[in-house]
Amino acid sequence: MRTPIAYFLVTSGLLFAIGTVGVLIRKNALLIFMSIELQLNAVNLSLIAFSRMHGSLNGQVLAFFSMVVAAAEVVVGLAIIVSVYRRTGSVSVDDVRELRG
Amino acid sequence: MPLDNVVFWVFAPIAVASAIAMLVQRNAVHAALLLIVNFFCIAVFYLLLGAPFLFAVQVIVYAGAIMVLFLFVIMLLGVDRGDTLRERLVGQRPAAIGLGLALALEVFFAVRAGVGFAAKAPVGFEKVNAGGNAQALARVLFRDYFFPFEATSVLLIVAAIAAMVLAQRKARAITQAGAEAAGRGEVA
Amino acid sequence: MTPSAFHLVWLVPALPLAGAAVNLFAGKKLGKLAGWLASALLAAALAISVAILSGMLGLAAGDRLFVQHLFDWISAGSFQVGADLRIDPLSVTMILVVTGVGTLIHVYAIGYMEHDPRFGRFFAYLNLFAFFMLMLVLAQNYLLLYLGWEGVGLCSYLLIGFWFERKSAADAAKKAFITTRIGDTAMMVGLALIVVKFGTLDFSRVLVSRGGSPGYYPQIGPVVSHGAVTAIALLLFAGAVGKSAQVPLHVWLPDAMEGPTPVSALIHAATMVTAGVYLVVRSHVLFEASGTALTVVLVIGLITAIYAATAALAQDDIKRVLAYSTTSQLGYMFVAAGMRAYAAAMFMLVAHAFYKALLFLSAGSVIHGAHEEQDMKQMGGLRSPMPLTATVMTIGAVSLAGIFPLAGFFAKDTILEIASTSGRTSVYLLGTFGALLSAVYIGRLVFLTFFGEARSEKAERANESPAVMTAPLVVLAIGAVAGGVLATGIEGRLPGFLEPVVGVFREGGAGLAKGALIAIALGVSVLGLAVTWFLYGSGKVDWLALRVRLSPLHRFLERAWYVDDAYGAWLGTPGKAAAAFAAYVLDARVIDGFVNGVGIATNALAAAGRRIQTGFVRNYALAFLVGAVGILLYVGLKI
Repeated sequence: MRTPIAYFLVTSGLLFAIGTVGVLIRKNALLIFMSIELQLNAVNLSLIAFSRMHGSLNGQVLAFFSMVVAAAEVVVGLAIIVSVYRRTGSVSVDDVRELRG
Repeated sequence: MPLDNVVFWVFAPIAVASAIAMLVQRNAVHAALLLIVNFFCIAVFYLLLGAPFLFAVQVIVYAGAIMVLFLFVIMLLGVDRGDTLRERLVGQRPAAIGLGLALALEVFFAVRAGVGFAAKAPVGFEKVNAGGNAQALARVLFRDYFFPFEATSVLLIVAAIAAMVLAQRKARAITQAGAEAAGRGEVA
Repeated sequence: MTPSAFHLVWLVPALPLAGAAVNLFAGKKLGKLAGWLASALLAAALAISVAILSGMLGLAAGDRLFVQHLFDWISAGSFQVGADLRIDPLSVTMILVVTGVGTLIHVYAIGYMEHDPRFGRFFAYLNLFAFFMLMLVLAQNYLLLYLGWEGVGLCSYLLIGFWFERKSAADAAKKAFITTRIGDTAMMVGLALIVVKFGTLDFSRVLVSRGGSPGYYPQIGPVVSHGAVTAIALLLFAGAVGKSAQVPLHVWLPDAMEGPTPVSALIHAATMVTAGVYLVVRSHVLFEASGTALTVVLVIGLITAIYAATAALAQDDIKRVLAYSTTSQLGYMFVAAGMRAYAAAMFMLVAHAFYKALLFLSAGSVIHGAHEEQDMKQMGGLRSPMPLTATVMTIGAVSLAGIFPLAGFFAKDTILEIASTSGRTSVYLLGTFGALLSAVYIGRLVFLTFFGEARSEKAERANESPAVMTAPLVVLAIGAVAGGVLATGIEGRLPGFLEPVVGVFREGGAGLAKGALIAIALGVSVLGLAVTWFLYGSGKVDWLALRVRLSPLHRFLERAWYVDDAYGAWLGTPGKAAAAFAAYVLDARVIDGFVNGVGIATNALAAAGRRIQTGFVRNYALAFLVGAVGILLYVGLKI
């Protein structure tokens, strides 16, 4: 493989930053959630890239676990969004701000 | 230019572009579809990096199951509820974009300092993946990571039950009380 | 061979304590029985005391010391304090006075307090007082003595303020407590000094005579500097000044008359106020080692004796006359102690306990019979409705005035005689002048109360008190008459009995001859009584008009030389101002201001801080990101 590992890492970082910005600027809880998924995937990418770089499968195993946990997280997170929507009639995180000073 | 380089340079722009497009997309369904595109691109990178098993998992679990779940919830809550792109929080958007750029730059310099752009991946990854990636991964997983693997199964069951409990339509009285409590909180 | 009665000594304080406990918890249910129970228990203590005395009289003079160790009270390293009771001639004398006079007063109180709704509690307090007083005199170390000392102060407070519904009573109780506390605090410092200098509070190691009297005080002990001994003696004496109402801490005693009359008789005449005298006599080796302290005792006693006697001249309240009289008489006891005539002081103490208790109880009987009238201006002519009271009170008065052969004569005459023969002419002259004043004020009291015409409607309707009250009076009157047999002169029985403790008093040869002294003393007493008879009893002088003519002098004496007013103006007012400053400025502004300031600052900080908590999740997430970027930057720059 001729592509330097660093390229993948930079791509991963870029995707992570985009996901971060998405979390910060979107108000729709679903889109925020999608941005989080993007961040997770960016991290998985760097894990696998490092796995390749170090010639070890441990990185891949960790990415695998990360996916499993992400799946669980998505299930619970979406359920929370649904119940928040039922409570407030909105999926905007700006509308859910009872807990404030 | 070697093939893998070509593949990378084809898919990397698509990945970044689809991510940015998702970021500015008003319609949630479109955003979800763009995210699926992004996930496919990442899956291709996995293939390049010698992880065909995770490539399959990425396509099936992420691009398939998880994003379908997203779409399902979007439909459940109504597709027409697009985000208004107007920002109520003063300075939130420029700060977010600025800090996001800073983060990306930091990662860039960190990679440059730590890995270096000239460094190629070492050869001989075929030896690691001997007997097929899936088999090799299985060996590591069931030998070195057996207990965490079993623990994740518990996690999944708990998550499934939790989702059912959370999404369950609650008894009317409880909802009422909750609404009142929320109302009081609003007043206070 | 120790007499078996000695081993029962713990019962002497324990019995009244048990009575106090029973009456405190079950006094209401017992009703009338509460008084009889209290009296019976104290009478039992008296019986044990008598048994101890008779056991002691069977021993040789050098063996009359017995210490009963009850338990270890404090055990801290080398510092040990035991709950030890000491029996020697001095403590036996005291417990006999306390239990004897105490029992009579208890019985009397059954009649006096008959209609009081808190009958049971009254006897609980009285018994508690008896317990503490007995602990005080039986203690073998200063700490146990101090326990009793503070305990009697507490009971005094409770009993003066027994009718706390009256503001004057509650105020008087506070005044007594606070005033004596000044002395008590000094005394506590004295005890601390004893601990520092001697390493112990035990009499057997603190009270060590140097040469002087052989007695029960060992000759050897820790060497303590003269200055330290003087300081200790003076601090102890400060406690005695407070407790025995000596100048300048005497102001509480006249006000203490707000308490029920049996209390005045028991606590403020016969027993508690004499604790100061007991303390000086008990600790006389310290005072003698100092010398200076003895002079202070003498001077304070002399000033008090004269001063209080003049104040007694002008009081209209029958009990206040007796209160000032008590202060004056206690002064005489200190004069005796200051002249190293401890036996004379103790004899005066015993005699005084009898005739002053008699006078107080008679006064109580008069008040009781005259429908709660205490003002002598409103009395007069009570001789005919209350013949028995009139008789016994006259006996007490004559005894106090110092007419031969009553107890008071011997007591006072002995002291004056010692003053003369030891060459202290000024003390003798002033003491004799005080004796004249005593005769005048007590004669005035008797003539105003019992002779002449009834001057008010209450006095006309007066009637004799019940037998339960008069019987103790008769017994006390016998004591006041016959008390002289205890000590006729310096070689008398009581001094002989006390000799092992206080040593032999060596009479000087100066001054007038004995016969002349007795004649002068008697002449002075008779003169005083004659003057009062002429003024108040003969009917030839309009004493009310005379009073108006001498108005400034009368006011001066009635207000007791304005000492109280001066204390109020110079100490009370600034004290209150200081307290008000502390309470309303220092506490309210500074301390509360600080506390509230902390609270306000916290509130302001929180009000500023709460603005960070916008409720917008994305704001929080932004803060995350700032942190993340910042940390990365920091790490990156560091590497």
